[in-house]
Amino acid sequence: MKKYMLLSLVLFFVFTSFASAEDFLGAPVIPNAETIVKTKARFEFKSKLSHDQVLAFYKEALKDYEDIAFRDWKEDTYIEDDGAMSWHSITISKIYKDGSTSVTIVKDNWTWIIGTLILRFIAVFVVLIILFIAMSISGKIISNIFKKAEAKKAAA
Amino acid sequence: MTINEILDMLRGILYTTGVFNFQWNIIIMWLVGALFIYLAIAKKYEPLLLLPIGFGIFVVNFPLVPLMGFTDEGHGQLIRIFYKYGLEWEVIPCVIFLGLGAMTDFGPLIANPKMLLIGAGAQLGVFVTFTGTVLAGFTLKEAASVSIIGGADGPTTIYLTQHLAPQLLGPNALAAYSYMAMVPLIQPPIMRLFTNMKERKIRMRQLRPVSRQEKIIFPLVSCGIVALLVPAVIPLLGMFMLGNLMKESGVVGRLSETAQGSLMNIVTIFLGVAVGATMHADKFLSWKPLFIFGLGIIDFIVCTMGGVLTAKVMNLFLKEKINPLIGSAGVSAVPMAARVSQMQGMKYDKSNHLLMHAIAPNLAGLIGSAAAAGMFIAMFN
Repeated sequence: MKKYMLLSLVLFFVFTSFASAEDFLGAPVIPNAETIVKTKARFEFKSKLSHDQVLAFYKEALKDYEDIAFRDWKEDTYIEDDGAMSWHSITISKIYKDGSTSVTIVKDNWTWIIGTLILRFIAVFVVLIILFIAMSISGKIISNIFKKAEAKKAAA
Repeated sequence: MTINEILDMLRGILYTTGVFNFQWNIIIMWLVGALFIYLAIAKKYEPLLLLPIGFGIFVVNFPLVPLMGFTDEGHGQLIRIFYKYGLEWEVIPCVIFLGLGAMTDFGPLIANPKMLLIGAGAQLGVFVTFTGTVLAGFTLKEAASVSIIGGADGPTTIYLTQHLAPQLLGPNALAAYSYMAMVPLIQPPIMRLFTNMKERKIRMRQLRPVSRQEKIIFPLVSCGIVALLVPAVIPLLGMFMLGNLMKESGVVGRLSETAQGSLMNIVTIFLGVAVGATMHADKFLSWKPLFIFGLGIIDFIVCTMGGVLTAKVMNLFLKEKINPLIGSAGVSAVPMAARVSQMQGMKYDKSNHLLMHAIAPNLAGLIGSAAAAGMFIAMFN
């Protein structure tokens, strides 16, 4: 009986901690985390959990969201929202420093959207410019070959 | 047999009819389907696609029709199979590009490769519309799939939409093909707005002849460069270049004829019907499809403007000027946009034939819109 009561209490605290979990712009925040920086657009905090535990927490918390992408970078795991959430990204550091993992949540911002669009528009030009250069070079090479061949024929 | 049993039987028959399961919103979709069939037949607006799309919309919007669902055994029904294996697996757009490549002569572009820049500039609307679409509340992936409509390239639109936002396949494809058909109505006012009389009368030098060897090397070079820089779009552009290589090689005439003929016709039927069938009343009658139609026209306009302005900017640096009317052909509605440039040019100078010059940016726009699609796919990978 006592075991069941204890189990119920543990479960109660686990579930209420999730139910009353803090969030920043709709992005879940690990309970009992230590705030480093908090502004309207950015929230950086530390957690005693390891990187893998933090990642597991976010995978569970975000499992029902469709437009979430997890990117495995060298020093971080980067979680990006490509949907309509107010937050843009969650960065989980892989460097376990001073017994804690740092996590940064960043707000959706137009700077990122406009910046990436401009870069990609320029990239389309770059691709076609490279194709233009390649076509110009190959065109010149082939016409030179033909000129030489015709000159040889004329000489013969 | 008792009367109750007879009534039960009749009731059973009634419950399985469409009449008993009728919903009023499907009438609107019948009208939408009928409209596109009318545009295809009476106005001859892109009939090869709008006719099967219109019919797909019409036939799938009847209650209980076993077309887009699944059987009790879990197999797809008829049009669901076309959709799954043709569109979901992204096969049909690539096969259509194979046929298009087999029909295309890249000579004008090879003779004047700087037209590639106009093809790039004409993608301006794609990126501008992306911003507007995000502001309207679409997700980033949906915004990318909607904004590619301005590239005026049906298979690319379908490929990207299926990749990023398959729930918008129907409205995006319909918007793309509808506006492609309306290029002669949409483009001329934009072309006149951004050019002056002197520019419209610019004559361009006749294009140099292009050798068969250049035409054979071009698909290989383009495929290689795109594969290195924008690998995400190689299924589309690779098939396009394969079709073109088959045509230019001159040694696989049968394959080239099949690709541009019967194969193209077969996949076009499946494409049209499958795209139309995705537009059930429950999914289509919301603000998003209507907004896509409205945004699509702005996309087209800005893309046209981008192409014309790119030509004008290039003229600042070129000794031999480009007639900026061909800039609008950077919108890759091949060959309609090139014909529009020709017609507009001849309005101001009857002996100024711009068609062959305009084909170059037209084809460049096709590569440009595929490159833009590849950039969007890479954005989310």
